[in-house]
Amino acid sequence: MRFIRRYNSATPRLIDSIVGTNIGARLMRVSLGLIVLTLIALPFADLAITTRDPWSELGRMFVGFITPNILATESPLHAVLLTVAFAFWGVALGILLGFPLALLFMRSRLVRVGCAFVRAIHELFWALLFLQVFGLSAITALAAIALPYAGIFAKVYAEILLQIDTAPQQTLPQGVDRLSRFLYTELPLAWARLASYTRYRFECALRASVLLGFVGLPTLGFHLESAFRQGRYHEAGALLWAFYLLIALLPFWAHRRLVPLWLLGTLFLLGPWPTVDGELLWRFLSVDIWPQPLLAGDFKGLALWFTQLPDLLPAIGNTLLLGLMSTAGSLVVCLLLWPLASRHFGQRATRWLGTGALIGLRSTPELLLAFIFLLLVGPSLLPAWLALSLHNGALIAFLAARHADQLKFGMPGLKGVNLYAYELMPRIYPGILALLFYRAEVIIRETALLGMLGVATLGFHIDSSFAYLMFDQAVALLLITALLNIGVDALSRRLRPDALAPTIERTCEG
Amino acid sequence: MSLIELHHVDLGHGSHIVLPDLSLTIRRGERVALLGRSGVGKSTLLEMLRQQLANQVAWCPQADSLVPTLSAYHNIYMGRLEQFSRWRNVINLLRPFKQPWQDINALGAELGLEEVMRRQVDQLSGGQRQRVAIARALYQNKPTFVGDEPVASVDPHQGARLIELIHTRHETTIVALHQRELALAHFERIIGLDAGRIVIDAPSHTLDPDTLDALYQTV
Repeated sequence: MRFIRRYNSATPRLIDSIVGTNIGARLMRVSLGLIVLTLIALPFADLAITTRDPWSELGRMFVGFITPNILATESPLHAVLLTVAFAFWGVALGILLGFPLALLFMRSRLVRVGCAFVRAIHELFWALLFLQVFGLSAITALAAIALPYAGIFAKVYAEILLQIDTAPQQTLPQGVDRLSRFLYTELPLAWARLASYTRYRFECALRASVLLGFVGLPTLGFHLESAFRQGRYHEAGALLWAFYLLIALLPFWAHRRLVPLWLLGTLFLLGPWPTVDGELLWRFLSVDIWPQPLLAGDFKGLALWFTQLPDLLPAIGNTLLLGLMSTAGSLVVCLLLWPLASRHFGQRATRWLGTGALIGLRSTPELLLAFIFLLLVGPSLLPAWLALSLHNGALIAFLAARHADQLKFGMPGLKGVNLYAYELMPRIYPGILALLFYRAEVIIRETALLGMLGVATLGFHIDSSFAYLMFDQAVALLLITALLNIGVDALSRRLRPDALAPTIERTCEG
Repeated sequence: MSLIELHHVDLGHGSHIVLPDLSLTIRRGERVALLGRSGVGKSTLLEMLRQQLANQVAWCPQADSLVPTLSAYHNIYMGRLEQFSRWRNVINLLRPFKQPWQDINALGAELGLEEVMRRQVDQLSGGQRQRVAIARALYQNKPTFVGDEPVASVDPHQGARLIELIHTRHETTIVALHQRELALAHFERIIGLDAGRIVIDAPSHTLDPDTLDALYQTV
């Protein structure tokens, strides 16, 4: 959990930059605005529970979770190793692509726009797209991780390189060539931060790799999905434990020194490799993904084609609605849950449980959480709302608790609600809100994604367009999703407290 | 023969003038100490010297300008970065070349750094870092040494020894200092700056500590 420690060190700077200007009132307005807007929008959301007996189903899941059956899955080790292999190689290729782009990032608008675009589309949507050409193969899995990660690495690496101390460069003798200057000053100065961000990204890639199972690639997620779907909860429990163990033991098995070994060792696991039909690929790129009227130069037909896109407005509406509700939900969940993991409240046992629960919720991919809730309450916005709020709320709550634990304050003997309201919240709230708005972009991207589970957001139509082989429509919807993401990101950038430490962004971009 | 001659120039950063209407001549072979409170323009003057003299000058910045995550060896090697090809520099990062490794180790031994050559600079003490910065300047092997507080965080005795080492390796030495005693004992000429002007410029044997103290009186 190294990246959490990094957050801690950044926090005091963050708070310093906020306190001192009278920003409290503005934060309050923004938060209340968010909650009120959500309450107004709530009646428009479909929150129906359509299953008959969600509670007994939840009970059976819980029993499965605490009595896992590790022998139920066929070749579980292969699934785990393949998950790890895709994550390692996806990240490695992402770095290979993203690092050179990072060097151009600040100089080229084209690179910035391109990176913003590939970042805005979720790994799983990329997987769906590549699936059409490369089938259920290693290329699909690797490209789905490497491409968006290249965009992310380019941006974040560029920002890190921009922030290094420039004094050492200025002391170099005249006439030093660019490469030597980079390798002797810029790279070593940025190395620690580049490495820690990459470590954090690897954990994200591991989650993404699990999720690739949901489109049919044989990673952990594939077995998880089928076990849950078929009600084999003991097996699902075992797989979940395997996943949590993988995340918890990350610092040991994914140690820096072991990375080359893993890369070499997992190289042979990658597969299957598809036979790429060049003609088919060309047809896909040149014909299939473009609207027919556009290729024919028929602009009237193009307008008609556009009107035939399925229920675009309700889908966008639902996406934004769910994004808004989940952002507000995350805030509420965070405010309720963070004391569970803080040293200021409870006893050792409650803290231990609280911290464990928060880490568990944070580590579980949203899609998986949503999928579990979907099985419980049926398809509506409700399971997606619950999953996004719990996952993101827990993530922010955990960081908020760590922040609160560092604080020392003047009034001795304050307890409970008084301590929460007078000493702690005023100090940590700006940080919480900043994290929330950084998270908003991630939430909206996930929101679209949850459509794949049948929730009526943009992702639902993307998924079904692919299913019906209407590639032109799917790609158009993907573009709209990406634009929506970029728009929400721009909006949340404007709303969040100013002058935040950039470290925070890297901590919670996900 | 004069190394540098300035006649009524304004020195500063961009439009912000720190030292207006400055006239100054420094001859080859001189040992010049620059004194004055912090923020008085010493660094500005040194920066100008560094730019004017370009490739004749070995520049010794303050120790916090080293690259903290590289080893002492690599930080010293950086003094000659421009003299080697870029690929040689790349390979040297991974595995030091024999010749520079020997040269730099010999230099390090003179400065008491032989034990820490492979250690990252951020793990060194303040004094050791300062000696690494000096070693980098010495490694450049230039006729003129220009230093910004090169012995600020070492004890007076060691400071004197380092200054003498710098003197023997360079024809001309121009150094910003804050230790008055060191300036009087080891430099021939002392230039005192205050409020953007040169207020003292005299051979050191004509000066005494009390005169120099005036430079540090608060206005």
